[in-house]
Amino acid sequence: MPGVLSPEDAVRLDAFHEMIHEQTQVFAGYPVTANFDYHDLFRFLDYPLNNIGDPFDPCTYHLHTREFEREVLDWFAELQAAPEGDWWGYVTNGGTEGNLYGLYLARELYPNGMVYFSQDTHYSVSKNLRLLRMPHIMIKSQPTGEMDLEDLEESIRIHRDVPPIIFANIGTTMREGVDDIPAIQEMLKNLAIPQSYIHADAALCGMTLPFIDGAPEFNFSTGIQSMSISGHKLIGSPLPCGVVLALKPHVDRIARSIEYVGTLDTTITGSRNAITPLMLWYAIRQRGKEGFRAIVAECLACAEYAVEQLNAIGVKAWRNPHAITVVLPKPSSFVLDKWQLAVQEEIAHIMVMPHVDRDRIDRIVADIAANPV
Amino acid sequence: MKLISIVTQSRAGVTAEIAALLGENDINIESLDAEEANGTDVVTLSVDHYNRALQVLRDAGWNAVSEDAMLIRVRDEPGALARVAKQFLDAGITVHSIRIVQRGSDWGVIAVSADPIEKARELVTDNLLAESGE
Repeated sequence: MPGVLSPEDAVRLDAFHEMIHEQTQVFAGYPVTANFDYHDLFRFLDYPLNNIGDPFDPCTYHLHTREFEREVLDWFAELQAAPEGDWWGYVTNGGTEGNLYGLYLARELYPNGMVYFSQDTHYSVSKNLRLLRMPHIMIKSQPTGEMDLEDLEESIRIHRDVPPIIFANIGTTMREGVDDIPAIQEMLKNLAIPQSYIHADAALCGMTLPFIDGAPEFNFSTGIQSMSISGHKLIGSPLPCGVVLALKPHVDRIARSIEYVGTLDTTITGSRNAITPLMLWYAIRQRGKEGFRAIVAECLACAEYAVEQLNAIGVKAWRNPHAITVVLPKPSSFVLDKWQLAVQEEIAHIMVMPHVDRDRIDRIVADIAANPV
Repeated sequence: MKLISIVTQSRAGVTAEIAALLGENDINIESLDAEEANGTDVVTLSVDHYNRALQVLRDAGWNAVSEDAMLIRVRDEPGALARVAKQFLDAGITVHSIRIVQRGSDWGVIAVSADPIEKARELVTDNLLAESGE
């Protein structure tokens, strides 16, 4: 029999709901979308759904959404030019898990490999590398956030006795810089490196760049081995989620390594969220590629508007080409707190996600003008 | 005793700011040392609430180095970190991580986690800035 919440707890929940609703009207600093509506799916919250194990394997537990999950993966695989019939993936708890998975595959393939990642890489990558106990070297970043290829080349040259595992950022955290994967591949070829692995962290830009003409290349057609994309960023979800895609032979290697437990369990976690694949499926079916193309175009237009409005009041704001991240000098603590803007040293950024429209930008700019540092 | 090292661009009032921040958060500083090199300040301190101090410093945007790591000054040129790693590897020292903490115009500060740490320190004595750890 379901229990009954105490009146005090009920009041507390109501107050919390009100606070969250208010705060959602004034956030602009994190790469998450507030524009989504999954009411159609709420009925599924009544059931103990669980996408346990590999999404492509049969399961004796019937309460799952694996069919929808596979359709989501098919959609992303096509979007990211994954080789037909030679890829694998699953819906994750978010980008960190997807990156952990990619690095895990790399480690199993090249146990003595050296990981290279840029100074602008998300902090979770260091955490993942410690979890996996993989040796690593940080590479300098350029002011745009992109990896410094001269530093990478020299570093790989010094350590050419071990396979390089390159953690490429497709949209760095603070500046949305994109590491040049074709240039990295050319470098590896010129250095005559026989074995290498590239994982692409495309948490945000995995869902923006494919819809922008002339955007940097980064998908499987560039020769990467794995990729992680977030679902709660541009697509939007009340629950953090993501997708990891990888070349199938690498996944098969780790599947064989755990065969002794009687299952080819290839995912990081056993029990897995079954609602988030449903949400991603719903969003993809509702909008389709053309819908996302229109959303991304509007975000880009608003990002350019934000740069113009900030420059007009004397704030040196800028953005990378194809980016929806607007970088600016750190504003006052009032502005940082009210608009929940992320900070790194002396810069902050405004993430022009689908819910950050021109009206919200105008209010942010007005607050910055009225509250100087 | 675990030490925390904070790396920042040289400017007036750094230690006062750090002390004020920790004081506001009821964290006592037990020892504090500061040195400046090539436009970079390195403040090394011990506190009574280590983990909380780290959290407070990082939340406030300071580059606080916590692990058993050495802070080394290196020239800001291509392959600088890789050369340090090679130096350690050639000496039979396991390098767990090397990361950039601060970059200046010609020099940078990196944090190196290596094992055995004593042997690693001997290799880079001339460029050692500060070290944290027991």
